[in-house]
Amino acid sequence: MVKNSYNPFETAQKQFDRAADMLELDQATRDLLRNPIREFHFSIPIRMDDSQMKVFRGFRVQHNDARGPAKGGLRFHPQETIDTVRALSMWMTWKTAVADIPLGGGKGGVICDPHNLSQIEQERLCRGWVRQVFKNIGPSVDVPAPDVMTNPQHMLWMLDEYETLRGEKLPGFITGKPVGMGGSLGRKEATGYGVIITVREALKELNISPSDTLASVQGFGNVSQYAIELYEQLGGKVVCVSSWNQEDQTSYSFRKKEGVDLKELRSVTNPFGGIDKQKVQELGYEVLPGEAWLEQEVDILIPAALENQITGDNAEKMSKRVKIIAEGANGPTTPDADKVINKRNIFIVPDFLANAGGVTCSYFEQVQSNMNYFWERDDVLSRLDVKMTAAFIAVSDFARSNKLNMRDAAYVISVNRVAQACKDRGWV
Amino acid sequence: MSDNKPLDQLIVELQERAKELTCLYQMQELLNNPENTIKDICKGLVEVIPPGWQYPDICRARINLMGEIYQSEDFVETPWVQKTDILIQNEPVGELIVCYTEVRPQSNEGPFLKDERKLINTIAGRLGLHVLHQQLKTVFDEQKRTGTEQKSEWVVILDMLRQTDPKLLIRLSRKMVNFLCWTGVKDAETLLEQFSPWFDNQDKIFDENRPFKRRSDNDLLSLGYEIFEMAEKYLPQKQILDSIQKWTKEDRSGFLSKVLENMGSSLQDIDVVIERYNHLAAQMLELSEPREKGLRVALIRRLLTDQSDYIGIAKRFADVKSFNDLMQHIIYPAGSHGKLGGKSAGLFLARQILKKFEDKYESFKDIKIPKTWYLTSDGLLNYMAHNVLEEVMEQKYKDIGQVRQEYPFVIQVFKNSSFSPEIIKGLLRVLEDLGDVPLVVRSSSLLEDRIGAAFAGKYKSLFIANQGTKEERLIQLMDAIAEVYASTFGPDPIDYRAENDLLDYHEEMGIMIQEVVGTKVGHYFLPAFAGVAFSRNEFRWSPRIKSEDGLIRMVPGLGTRAVDRTSNDYPILISPGQPQLKVNVTIDEVIRYSPKYIDLINLETGEFETVELEALKQFGSEYPIISQLVSILRQDHLVQARPMGIDFTKDNLVITFEGLISRTNFVKQVKDILDVLQKQYNHPVDIEFAHDGKNLYLLQCRSQTAAIEYKPAAIPPNIPPEKTIFTANRFISNGLVSDITHIAYVDPKKYSEISDLETLKEVGKAIGRLNKILPKHQFILMGPGRWGSRGDIKLGVSVTYSEINNTAMLIEIARKTKDYVPDVSFGTHFFQDLVEANIRYLPLYPDDRGIIFNKEFFVNSENTLVSFLPDAAHLSDVIRVIDVPASANGQVLQVLMNAEVNETVAMLADRSELVDDDSLQLKLGQTTGMKQADVHWQWRLRNVEKLASQLDPKRFGVKCFYVFGSVKNAHAGPASDIDVLIHFIGTEEQRNDLTSWLDGWSLALSQINFLRTGHKTDGLLDVHIITDKDIEKRDSFAIKIGAVSDPARPLPIGTALINK
Repeated sequence: MVKNSYNPFETAQKQFDRAADMLELDQATRDLLRNPIREFHFSIPIRMDDSQMKVFRGFRVQHNDARGPAKGGLRFHPQETIDTVRALSMWMTWKTAVADIPLGGGKGGVICDPHNLSQIEQERLCRGWVRQVFKNIGPSVDVPAPDVMTNPQHMLWMLDEYETLRGEKLPGFITGKPVGMGGSLGRKEATGYGVIITVREALKELNISPSDTLASVQGFGNVSQYAIELYEQLGGKVVCVSSWNQEDQTSYSFRKKEGVDLKELRSVTNPFGGIDKQKVQELGYEVLPGEAWLEQEVDILIPAALENQITGDNAEKMSKRVKIIAEGANGPTTPDADKVINKRNIFIVPDFLANAGGVTCSYFEQVQSNMNYFWERDDVLSRLDVKMTAAFIAVSDFARSNKLNMRDAAYVISVNRVAQACKDRGWV
Repeated sequence: MSDNKPLDQLIVELQERAKELTCLYQMQELLNNPENTIKDICKGLVEVIPPGWQYPDICRARINLMGEIYQSEDFVETPWVQKTDILIQNEPVGELIVCYTEVRPQSNEGPFLKDERKLINTIAGRLGLHVLHQQLKTVFDEQKRTGTEQKSEWVVILDMLRQTDPKLLIRLSRKMVNFLCWTGVKDAETLLEQFSPWFDNQDKIFDENRPFKRRSDNDLLSLGYEIFEMAEKYLPQKQILDSIQKWTKEDRSGFLSKVLENMGSSLQDIDVVIERYNHLAAQMLELSEPREKGLRVALIRRLLTDQSDYIGIAKRFADVKSFNDLMQHIIYPAGSHGKLGGKSAGLFLARQILKKFEDKYESFKDIKIPKTWYLTSDGLLNYMAHNVLEEVMEQKYKDIGQVRQEYPFVIQVFKNSSFSPEIIKGLLRVLEDLGDVPLVVRSSSLLEDRIGAAFAGKYKSLFIANQGTKEERLIQLMDAIAEVYASTFGPDPIDYRAENDLLDYHEEMGIMIQEVVGTKVGHYFLPAFAGVAFSRNEFRWSPRIKSEDGLIRMVPGLGTRAVDRTSNDYPILISPGQPQLKVNVTIDEVIRYSPKYIDLINLETGEFETVELEALKQFGSEYPIISQLVSILRQDHLVQARPMGIDFTKDNLVITFEGLISRTNFVKQVKDILDVLQKQYNHPVDIEFAHDGKNLYLLQCRSQTAAIEYKPAAIPPNIPPEKTIFTANRFISNGLVSDITHIAYVDPKKYSEISDLETLKEVGKAIGRLNKILPKHQFILMGPGRWGSRGDIKLGVSVTYSEINNTAMLIEIARKTKDYVPDVSFGTHFFQDLVEANIRYLPLYPDDRGIIFNKEFFVNSENTLVSFLPDAAHLSDVIRVIDVPASANGQVLQVLMNAEVNETVAMLADRSELVDDDSLQLKLGQTTGMKQADVHWQWRLRNVEKLASQLDPKRFGVKCFYVFGSVKNAHAGPASDIDVLIHFIGTEEQRNDLTSWLDGWSLALSQINFLRTGHKTDGLLDVHIITDKDIEKRDSFAIKIGAVSDPARPLPIGTALINK
């Protein structure tokens, strides 16, 4: 079989090197930031249901905590490698930095396939993971969250184990908890709303009123749905939405030129954002091929489904009218497409800025947990607006004054913030 | 008004029952009073009998006992009469007569009810016994009074018998003398001789022609006393008495064996004796062990099956009593010799086994069987005879293509035929008994559910709502039965039988009419959940699950969604040995792969329907045990539902069965059932079940056909890329599929682009025809989606069993998706068929990282579809038939499967050698599932292919070359010839040339065949030469070309010459 030679950590380091060059960082700073500041590798012995012992391998990587406690998810994956965890922890550092929240970056995981574990064994594994590393994590040290193949239930087991070991209630130890068990309201809206807050700010800069704009959205999951909700509130009109069709194993675009009705669409959508092709047609929507969302006569494109959707091949199909692309998904635009976008002078809100609403809300969850006082939904969302707006303006100003495109600006500003924090602390 | 009808009916029935009981009670009072003489009793009886009958006012009774007549005052014999003999020791001594003085509506027996027949028999029986008892008492008293000397007790008994039942006395004496001989008493032998007819004639035995003088009963009677006197010398008094008692009892059950062992006795006879047996059993009739066993076996053989595996198990569990209830629920044509069929037999046995283990497993007490009526297997013959449809029986010997074509007409003919009056009467009784609950009419054929040939889903099972007037309900029921009957002659079961060598076996179709397990939810009717369970798990999603952990496959509502393959829905899979190891773990998986639809019966429309689960939310907790079936999705947190914890208007519900698994003993109960049944069957089993929210109902049980365990194939390292056709690394099993010469490839992209349903169906049909024409077990089918699934056929090629049964392998291509799609076909009837037919199955994920899929090979190789199906040219961009040797320089395809390294490779390779060496055959059988008998046709096909490849078309003037008959159809034996068809366009000279060239081949092949098999033939080729003219006129063998059924297969000619 072909060996997978792609190393995500090397890619992340190369990206960093480019930013470091632009910022002319000194060697010590580069050495510090090219690698995680701390790594924990440990064994987790678990008593299995058949009473046999089995030992699992676990990790926690703290890439950088100069700006605050490390923050990042916890993955259960059979093909987990330390380099993947390292790369992801570095990306978390830049993400919290660009959102300008007082947190660092971390990531963790266990090499296991939950498909081969019973619920009880998974509980023991969660508790075992905490026991191995509890001295080095915590609300003011390193705050885990759910990620690949982990969910709120796992977070609650881990929280319980941590609190037991510490002998006190510390709900700020972990995020992604259910509402009522230390979770925050507004979490499901946060990412989608965040995308539109950046779009709103971008429109301001371009001097366009939102009510004069049309948008087309790829995907109809959580992010898209709430993005459309807020965008409609601002007066904008979405004319096309695409969604994956599980039965036909392909995606379709659904168009209504006079503007889609979110409530109506939601009524024919399954929990995975799949829109029922038949029913939506009955509601008067045109059914178009999957890629048609990209070709619409709109001002704003919001790719919020998968990576590598706007490519060198299809970027030319974008209407001349397009002025803003807000990346709701991770990495929806390929470097080839970026060339077209830059040439056409389209304003791009890069992914880790546009979808930073999620991590910002996790930060809010932690803040609320630490003070054991939970805000109303509107409270959460208005604070989100403040943070996202500030983050956007900072990146945008940085781009303008340094003649960078938004993508580079976002990256450089976050590396700069982290480097500065390290310097200020006297680490480099 | 109509609402009151069932209630009224019930009241009438209860009244009748009360009358009967009063009648019996009054009789008992008469009998129990010691003052009453026989005379008093009989006088009393003729008074108490009439009130016990349905129409007391016009009912009269008469007892004729030992010459005396007792009767109701104004008794007259009328045509509306019911009679029964009064027996003493099986001898009639009188008669009981009940009659109506006026005409009344027809019922079971004239105007009389079925229960009245039982009542009259019971009364006569009791009276007979009472009289006997009185007689014995008199004799006994007499003995006591007159006997001066103290007699042994056995003498008293013998005296008594001598007066009341001398025949029994003789039989007892014979038994005693036999017994004495066996225990080694020498003297007894002389007495034994006296029983023989030769006694006294010993000397003359050879010189006289006259018949022996038969000894009179009187002689034998006195001999009896001698025997017992001798017995007294050797045996203790108590043993003699015990023996007499035992033999007497046995003697009384003699009638049972007499009827049951006689293959000529009809079901009606059996019904009568079982009733009589039960009557006697109530009086402590005990049978000796061998007799009991003999009876059990006889009953099993007559009612259930004569398969020895089954009998061997069943005789340990089914006692004579257990047949009683069964007999009450059988309807049959007059003089029936039918059986109940495989499905009924399986269910009956499972029930009996579980009953026996109720003490050990508390939870078995809660297991129920739905109320069921049975129509015997010869009901089908009766139906066909009644409608003069016997010729349909010949369907099975027709070509399968023809069977398929004619099947819709067979269904119509059956549905438009009528049932005989006796069966209609029976069906009315069934409807009366079951009421207006929905019913399922299930096939239960004689061949069904055998070990190794389960016929899973081959015959129909139909749901009917059973609503409306009695007439409407009867019509629905008859319609359903007719359709199940028709399915006996469908192409799928017939081909399946051919494949399993069961075609010549006599097939009859029993019917089970079963109430559907379930409850009303709104205007729907459905069980809370239902499914299938297997004691062996062949689909293990985690390496930690062992085969013996078993598998449950279940769905909410009717179990049809669990046994059928559905194209866009997922049942819940549980391994009962390891219920905590789940197929779906992440929340996304749990939601995505949970059941979304439900099968149920709509009581308003009377239809079997599939609806979205969401549609049932409006009924809230009307749905039984809903809180055990669903989990609630709160954002991304999945919470187990609890009673009263569900907000049906707001909550997002997902079917997980979480509460059922973790809060009830359901999983353990199923595991226990499977374990017990597997142990007793001594074979893996599968069961079908349903749950109405209160009880678990067993619906079916049969032996599970287990997949053959193949050895892993060694995968050579460094296979050159140009030789690799595809690789796979998910759901890999072991084995080697070699010598594949053809691939029928349905292009996934092209298939998905077809927009009209007709064309999609045509693809399936074309595959079905290729299945009959491509070399058996030497081709593979490849194509998109889940094949043979119910629902949207866009998601998988629409085929049935008989359309794929000759393939060596079925490869399903999964198109690109980001999802982890668990294969959920295991446990469906479709998958069972593949396992049984030894068809290897492989899902292919060509878009996975590291997977090779040589698309060029599939797309660029020449498409030979049209040469096989000339009329399917319009499908040639969708279906590609690749002749592997022609496209790969004579090489064939080999698929190497190795589960240990979790890898499958399909590569081009040289043909394997085919010889008659036993060990090789064994090896081939082990790896490819090829049968021993396959060697002959395969050898012939290879050689005729070689012949064709060396035939020079120019030299001989040959246009086309075909093979047909037994070699093409893959059933050639060691003495078969090879039928070839040559389309000739040359001159007379060329024709002579060709004939002599072929003669040479023919003789050579014949000689080789002789050396291989010992069969001598004058040439092995049977050559038919046809010309353009023949084809034009469609003369003689020309019709074989491109025929719809059993067409000749074209072979490429001259290829070897070109290569040279």
